[in-house]
Amino acid sequence: MIDPSKDGARETSMTDGRNDTMRVARGPRAKRTVALTGADAFLGRNLIGLLEDDDRVGRIVAFDVKNPPSAGRKTRFYKVDLTQPSVDARIAEVLAAEDVDTFLHLAFLSSPTHASAWAHELESVGTMHVLNACRERPVRKFALWSQTILYGAAPSNPNFLTEAHPLKGQTESRFLNDKIEAEQVVARFARQMPGTVVTVLRVAPILGPTVDNYLTHYLGRRLVPTLLGFDPLMQFTHEVDALAAFKLAVMRDAPGVFNIASEGVLPLSTVIKLAGRMALPLAHPLAYPLARALWAAQLSEAPWMFLDYLRWVCVADTELAQRELKWRPAFTTREAVLDHGGAQSLRDAHLMRASSHL
Amino acid sequence: MARRVLGDDPFASSIPEGASAPEEKAKTDAPKKRSIPPKARKSVPPKAPRKSKAPPPQADEPVARVAPPPAPLPVIEVPSLSDVPSPVDEPVEETVGAADLPPEAPAAEERAAPTDAPRAADGEESLEDTIRALEARLDKLLEGSREQAQPILDRVSDKLRAVASAPAARGDGASEARDEAAPYDVARDLFASQYYLRQWGRVAMRDRSEEVDEFGFDPSYDARWRPFFDFLYERWWRVDVEGIENVPAEGRVALVANHSGAVPYDGIMLAAAMRREHPSARPLRWLAEDFVSHLPFMGAYLTRLGAVRACQENAERLLRKESCVAMFPEGVKGVSKLFRDRYKLQRFGRGGHIKLAIRTRTPLVPVSIVGAEETHPLIAPSGVVARMLGVPYVPITPTFPLLGAAGLVPLPSKWRIVFGEPMPMDAYGPDAADDEVLVGRLNEKLRGTIQDTLDRALRQRRSVFSG
Repeated sequence: MIDPSKDGARETSMTDGRNDTMRVARGPRAKRTVALTGADAFLGRNLIGLLEDDDRVGRIVAFDVKNPPSAGRKTRFYKVDLTQPSVDARIAEVLAAEDVDTFLHLAFLSSPTHASAWAHELESVGTMHVLNACRERPVRKFALWSQTILYGAAPSNPNFLTEAHPLKGQTESRFLNDKIEAEQVVARFARQMPGTVVTVLRVAPILGPTVDNYLTHYLGRRLVPTLLGFDPLMQFTHEVDALAAFKLAVMRDAPGVFNIASEGVLPLSTVIKLAGRMALPLAHPLAYPLARALWAAQLSEAPWMFLDYLRWVCVADTELAQRELKWRPAFTTREAVLDHGGAQSLRDAHLMRASSHL
Repeated sequence: MARRVLGDDPFASSIPEGASAPEEKAKTDAPKKRSIPPKARKSVPPKAPRKSKAPPPQADEPVARVAPPPAPLPVIEVPSLSDVPSPVDEPVEETVGAADLPPEAPAAEERAAPTDAPRAADGEESLEDTIRALEARLDKLLEGSREQAQPILDRVSDKLRAVASAPAARGDGASEARDEAAPYDVARDLFASQYYLRQWGRVAMRDRSEEVDEFGFDPSYDARWRPFFDFLYERWWRVDVEGIENVPAEGRVALVANHSGAVPYDGIMLAAAMRREHPSARPLRWLAEDFVSHLPFMGAYLTRLGAVRACQENAERLLRKESCVAMFPEGVKGVSKLFRDRYKLQRFGRGGHIKLAIRTRTPLVPVSIVGAEETHPLIAPSGVVARMLGVPYVPITPTFPLLGAAGLVPLPSKWRIVFGEPMPMDAYGPDAADDEVLVGRLNEKLRGTIQDTLDRALRQRRSVFSG
């Protein structure tokens, strides 16, 4: 763990930071300097841990509002709030000072929020700020965390969506639309900046023993709501597979958009049973208004249009990533569900034990 | 579970665990955590052949095989309920087996082993004898140590039994509180919803595979329903198959069939025919039209049985994996046509299947299915009602809305499935798929072939129900 006071000192005085830079950058030139936003979220935190252990990475520049707990010797933390107006200048300044060559933009919300205005500032506008900084002070590589749910669940979807499929999102979902906007501006950035390798990883919903998002909450419920008569095929990414893909994106130059997901698909009903839960099937004509009301009352965690993901298929084809990025999923969707289920039942047992001691 | 609890108790676990620990370590090759002196490790190699003689043991087997003590068995039962050691310091089984054991028995055995080991290395023919000797020695040691431990084991098991049958009264001492935990734990197990959820999960997964293929085909589910569809195939519709050898034994192939019968049984029956009659029992994936795939229940069940939603991408993916795919180019117009239009082929889509076949160089096998039209004769159009329900049609048959759910039993017509000569598509270049005129011609030719076969089969048919 890094000493926070030391970080604070680095943060406040840029001159100290520069001296430090010189000292660290003495190693072979091949060593990379990786900057990442959203450093204190799941992906950022774990990637910092991975990159800390990798000799090919000389320095990690972490941008977030909070210091990531996985930060070690190599990591330099800069407190940056992407929702602030002048943040692009600040990032550009740091990029220049730290001589960053690889930029990972991971500052996206992993779960829907009711604070949609703030989310818009963070995701859509925040991406614009980040890209402006990378225009001002070009980096060699830019990678973006995107998601396969942006394709949207629709009855017309083929069973496997390729990267060429348009990002339709869901009607009225600002959670998805902000991310689609971010992808669009990144695509424009890639056209404008031919010197930058732009990699977009569209990751299927991440599941695993340690990750915490709306999906794990959904599968963590005692009764998991489903739609009566619908049993779509689901696809998840094991957290390890997702992290491996991002690490590969840092290490390899593979421009383009790639779908990332663990191998195989499972029907939703099987997912729920493997997770050790019970399904609560609701008739869809009733479920939609109910979900809409719950979302409006801020009682539900996912917006009502996410019910579509329980109704239609939204599964991505990862062949391109396997071919171009040379990424191989190490886990299957089933293993991701089982890993999540095992960890969840331990958490349940802890809860039970804690409550029985009360 | 049983082993871990055994491991928690140094008395109960020491002998069997200790004796089996080196063997297990030799297998897992993870000697880091062991507290056995380095000399002891030498004793591991001579024992390795011993394992190879016997069938390879399961993970938990060594305990039972090496030392089957009569006493520990009740011990296993009791602590799993009573949870004697406080659950917080439940150690991992491996470290217990290696670290907590009293050194007498294994150490003695291991000290003895190296003296034999060099002798084994001298003469190759004596190796087996050495192993035998070592085995006998080990058994003797185990026997001896078990006899030694027997009083302790008995004492422990007596105590545990006493614990289990202790009255459930609130105690104040820590040990008392632990003792009385047993009945509470049983009760908690039985009253916790978690327990029933777990049981329910087991029951609910009984007809499901834990893995499905990429289009959602579930082998267990299919196996469970197979007798029912076999009954329909054999007894109800008495399907006759003709020319199934026209379907190549391997490689991508598309079966193009007429679609009929209001409730699309023809895909399932075609799959059953391929499974039962084809020499290489090819698995068949059939493309179901959108409205079927999206119908509540129907879509989910058919997916598990092997149907795939009909679209270019899905079909292409299947064909590129060299599978056998059935297509019904008439689509909804085929299944929803009225009884008076039976066996009159509808428009064959826009030729998407032809373009796909040209692009993927897939031979097309025309298939004519006779008999399916009479399973659910549609006697009236259902425009308004269907539109209200959001489906393309509602099967209004002589029986359906009239007899309620019983009206959905299909009529037992006699079926005949005729597979025609395959139409090879190799002759056309890749840009032929864009040649609309050619695609239209091929489509008409295919449609004509199927229609002719249908007409011929209908002329031969004397009765709808007896063929």
